[in-house]
Amino acid sequence: MKILAIDTSASPVSAALLCDGKLVGEFYLNIKTTHSQTLMPIVSNLLSSGRVDINDIDLFAVNAGPGSFTGIRIGVASVKGMAMPLDKPCAGVSTLESMAYSLPYSDGIVCAVMDARCSQVYNALFRLDGTAVERITEDRAISIEELEKDLEHYDETVYLVGDGADICFQAFGEKLNVVLTPVNIRYQHAYGTAAAAEIMAKENRLCTPAQLMPIYLRLPQAERELKAKQEKLKKGEMQE
Amino acid sequence: MQKFITSSPEETEAVAEKLACTLKGTEIIAMSGGLGAGKTAFTRGLARGLGIDEGVSSPTFALVNEYKGKFNLYHFDMYRVDSWDDLYSTGFFDYQDNGVMIIEWSENIREFLPENHITVKINILDENMREIIIKGIDMSQMQV
Repeated sequence: MKILAIDTSASPVSAALLCDGKLVGEFYLNIKTTHSQTLMPIVSNLLSSGRVDINDIDLFAVNAGPGSFTGIRIGVASVKGMAMPLDKPCAGVSTLESMAYSLPYSDGIVCAVMDARCSQVYNALFRLDGTAVERITEDRAISIEELEKDLEHYDETVYLVGDGADICFQAFGEKLNVVLTPVNIRYQHAYGTAAAAEIMAKENRLCTPAQLMPIYLRLPQAERELKAKQEKLKKGEMQE
Repeated sequence: MQKFITSSPEETEAVAEKLACTLKGTEIIAMSGGLGAGKTAFTRGLARGLGIDEGVSSPTFALVNEYKGKFNLYHFDMYRVDSWDDLYSTGFFDYQDNGVMIIEWSENIREFLPENHITVKINILDENMREIIIKGIDMSQMQV
């Protein structure tokens, strides 16, 4: 099975080609340009350099969220555009899950964290046993304090991945048994997206290009705080 | 804190032009002030200070206008934005750290601004006179 996977969920952009479980090629850039300008040249280069015709791709995979609003839309729309005319299946992969596939050889807990701003992170936890990735929590938006409390329940080593790993390590790195992973595996790569998609194919969790949708997580705490402040302001204005 | 009194839109623009000279390229400028206070005039002056010649108009309907000058300039209008979902779907967080952001009606999203932002408050004194209060940056420190 040939899988073309892309990631545009945050500041880096990457594309990977996986043929029967083997990584044939991967293209990764982390520069300050719009993914809308870099993604398609990358995909086109990857396919031509890897000598694979787009018609031979069996599965199109994309990190469908959580992540940057614009980035996710670019990724999902691009994959829809490539898969729809060829009538091929798609895999909408959780960005957080894709990151766990960067280190399945380890033993312990992977804590994938993305900076959602406003002191919140997108997070999910996964257990690794040296061979497989097992999901422990759903994808969620929580504060760093809540995450720290949750991680206290685990005795295993916790590996931090994602663009929120730094801020989490600064917040509780000294207090808990956590490892800040090296930069080559810390951020999301399309290889992880492809690896997760391969498992999803085995478990019949694929969708049609039309069914593929962005996954957005809301920030309930930030929302609550804003509402409270707005009401306070309104009351203040009325008193004036 | 810096306080300016201006007596025409042109003078308001000149204050903003001066502010533009002190920017490093990734600042967030949160403006507040009622209708007709001169927020768009202020942005026009800031754009000119960054070498942007294009006409600057209020992004009330587009939500954000993008300009390219010495730095990228992102001009937001938050008049109709009042929830985190709304803000997220303007792409607001994707623009951060990629250029200067200047925000009209920032009071609607105040809680979601990073701590180290610059505030520009424009008070209407009379038909032509405005009081402009700028906090969060020292305008005497000019960037080369």
